[in-house]
Amino acid sequence: MVTVGNVTEGRSLMAHLIRRTGFGATQSELDRLEKLDYNKVVDQLLNPTESNHLSDDLVFRYHTEVHEQRGGPWSAKQWLYRMVTTETPIVEKMALFWHGIFATGYAKTNQARALSVQIDMFRRFGLGKFDVLLEELSKDPAMIIWLDNQDNHSGAINENFGREILELFSMGIGNYTEEDIKECSRAFTGWTLKNAEYMSVRAMKDSIWPYGRISWHYEYRDEDHDHGEKTFLGETGNFNGSDIVSIISKQRATATFISRHLYDFFVADEVPVPQWPYTPPRDPEAIETLADAYMSNGHDLTEVLRVLLKSDFFKDSCYERIKCPAEYVAGCLRVSNSIIKPTMLMNEAVNVMEYMGQTLLNPPSVEGWHEGTEWINSGSIVERVNFAYEVWRNSGSLEVKDITARLSVSGDLRPEEAVQSCLKFMGPLELTEDSARNAIVDHVSKKGPIKFGDCTGEMMADAEERVAEILALIAASKEYQRA
Amino acid sequence: MTSRTVIERVTYDKTIGIVNNNPLGRGFAHPIDIAERNGELYVLNKHPGFTRVGVCTYQEEYLREYGTYGHGDGQFWLPTGVAVNADGYTFVCDEFHNNVTVFGISGEFLEKWGEEGSDVGQFGGPSGIAIANNGNILVVDQNNNRIQEFQTDGTHVRSWGESGNEIGQLNQPWGICIGKDESIYVADWGNDRVQQFDSQGTPLKIFGGPSENGGCLHRPSKPAVDSDGYLYVSDWGNEAVKIYSPSGQFIQSLRGEATLSKWAQEFLDANPDESSQRDISDLMPELPSHFNTPYLISTQIESYFWGPSSVLVGEDNRLYVVESSRHRIQIYELL
Repeated sequence: MVTVGNVTEGRSLMAHLIRRTGFGATQSELDRLEKLDYNKVVDQLLNPTESNHLSDDLVFRYHTEVHEQRGGPWSAKQWLYRMVTTETPIVEKMALFWHGIFATGYAKTNQARALSVQIDMFRRFGLGKFDVLLEELSKDPAMIIWLDNQDNHSGAINENFGREILELFSMGIGNYTEEDIKECSRAFTGWTLKNAEYMSVRAMKDSIWPYGRISWHYEYRDEDHDHGEKTFLGETGNFNGSDIVSIISKQRATATFISRHLYDFFVADEVPVPQWPYTPPRDPEAIETLADAYMSNGHDLTEVLRVLLKSDFFKDSCYERIKCPAEYVAGCLRVSNSIIKPTMLMNEAVNVMEYMGQTLLNPPSVEGWHEGTEWINSGSIVERVNFAYEVWRNSGSLEVKDITARLSVSGDLRPEEAVQSCLKFMGPLELTEDSARNAIVDHVSKKGPIKFGDCTGEMMADAEERVAEILALIAASKEYQRA
Repeated sequence: MTSRTVIERVTYDKTIGIVNNNPLGRGFAHPIDIAERNGELYVLNKHPGFTRVGVCTYQEEYLREYGTYGHGDGQFWLPTGVAVNADGYTFVCDEFHNNVTVFGISGEFLEKWGEEGSDVGQFGGPSGIAIANNGNILVVDQNNNRIQEFQTDGTHVRSWGESGNEIGQLNQPWGICIGKDESIYVADWGNDRVQQFDSQGTPLKIFGGPSENGGCLHRPSKPAVDSDGYLYVSDWGNEAVKIYSPSGQFIQSLRGEATLSKWAQEFLDANPDESSQRDISDLMPELPSHFNTPYLISTQIESYFWGPSSVLVGEDNRLYVVESSRHRIQIYELL
């Protein structure tokens, strides 16, 4: 068990790994991981088994609205419970990654359940072969409505999906022609959803009547498919949508585009996607390494991630990313071990993510969110600080009790020792500005040293209160905004 | 192997209700429980912001409503159970406030009692409520895994039950009902069964269980018993209703077969663009394989039960099945 002493390099690296592939680790999780070989931990992470998490039954019983998931925040709440309580956080992290790229929103679909089904699809296919994921995305009912493919008919194409699958979902602008978009769209004619006309009317009117939403599922209408010959990215044939997906997936441009997204999400913040055609990657060599892994492993995303997570550029990237609101909120709740049963706190957590700039399941557009430093502004930082402070200030949370117990092993602590030790538990983290560190120490000093007494007495309860406050103040620091 | 003749106990009658996306007015907003008195149906709605008791009839007359969302007197946050006594007083338990609110015959707030805790008279997420044959109030104390009996003014009479999965023990129980013979039936939610107790809390019989046979239960929410002793259980986790004979033999399972209610038909009549498309849609489609649980299937098939949170055997000898996620009540005739 780590107490107040120095944090080992291995423990720091594990903490970094779990912040990036999940939402952060508790001290007891790090105790376990620290003893393991890093590469083996990566391999285990990339082979997630069936996930345990706070039971949906419990969540549904308490939050009746989450059982129905008629509204976007209701579905977001269920997802947040998963992020906070799952034993396989990488599955949720990949779902979040793909949600940012294949951004599909409630604002147009008016169908939160369909968005949940899409997220579940990301869980099933998000770590698999890109071809399969892209085909599932093309059949996803929420995506079909989001990009109007129910209006893409033989002889009367709608190019919306055909354009975005190339521009935003796979290759990036500059790697295809306008003619490719048309041919791609022709190939996806007939890819629609069951009862498309009725569901379109309901979605357009945001109708919930008479008995709430009816979830959607994919339907292929052969009679509405354009069976003619098509030429796409230099290949000619009687292509259907699946053929188009195969052609897209084998392009080097796709490998590079997806690799840059993976780098941006797991390694270090890149510039926003619209600037990619004009701004070279932050680490071109890393992108090439990942693209090579994509091409040489049959477009298997798990293998690309394996190369990424074991690379030096990943290991050297501590705190090079700003946490997105979902990572920040889920991370605070998870690492503080605050959620052990359904609670009204999750209502607030979902709302506060929106105030921080990220409404899960309702991205601002098909481009998704602009991430990195764009998450931080004068309004969002106040929301972040207040939420983190509120969560960590709860001296009843299991993690606060655990950290206090670890601190108590060394006996009473002077304020500067207590702050320094808490910084180790919260990252380990270093506050780059002495003024911030000094402000926390000064605040703690007002009540003198932290005394623990025996492990059960009133003094220990007071120590937990004071430790919770230090952790809360650290969680409100600018350094804690980073992963 | 012996064959068993299955005798159906109920047959589908009709559906009442429509989703209501407002704090007032006809329709339901996550209906969670139901009670009846003199032909009036008291439907408890749990939708955040729109909590209330709505009173209507089998004929879909919407009569009145009372109780609102909030933390004050006569307000609810997470209401879970409703019961109406012979004098017309309404009792509503709230698992967030950990109390019981009492309304008078006109729906006026009278009093509330209870607070969070595990001592006598305190609650840990009360989730079900019923009127005993002697007029006392029985409250399912979910997280304390016990049943508490009170006089109508909140005076504690007795408590029984403890945490566990043995006979007589409970695991996050939900709904409760009383038989004609004063038996008490409790939906032992976490143990996937219904337990029958005598009026003093002595265990008598177990219905359901998690086994694989047709009569198994998964997270049952509420029992109801008819005058012949037949038991009807809203099998919430299986999106079904299970029916058992008085001896405990499973005899029928219902999956739901909702039709358009009077209010639903009026909505569609006023919205011909939706009505015309609905008429030509296949609302019983073959589903992709990933819709592989009763819950996921119910998200897709509108006529199936979705969130059957409560059942009631009415004075009119009908079975009322409340669906929280479809905002309606499917009604069956007892045969």
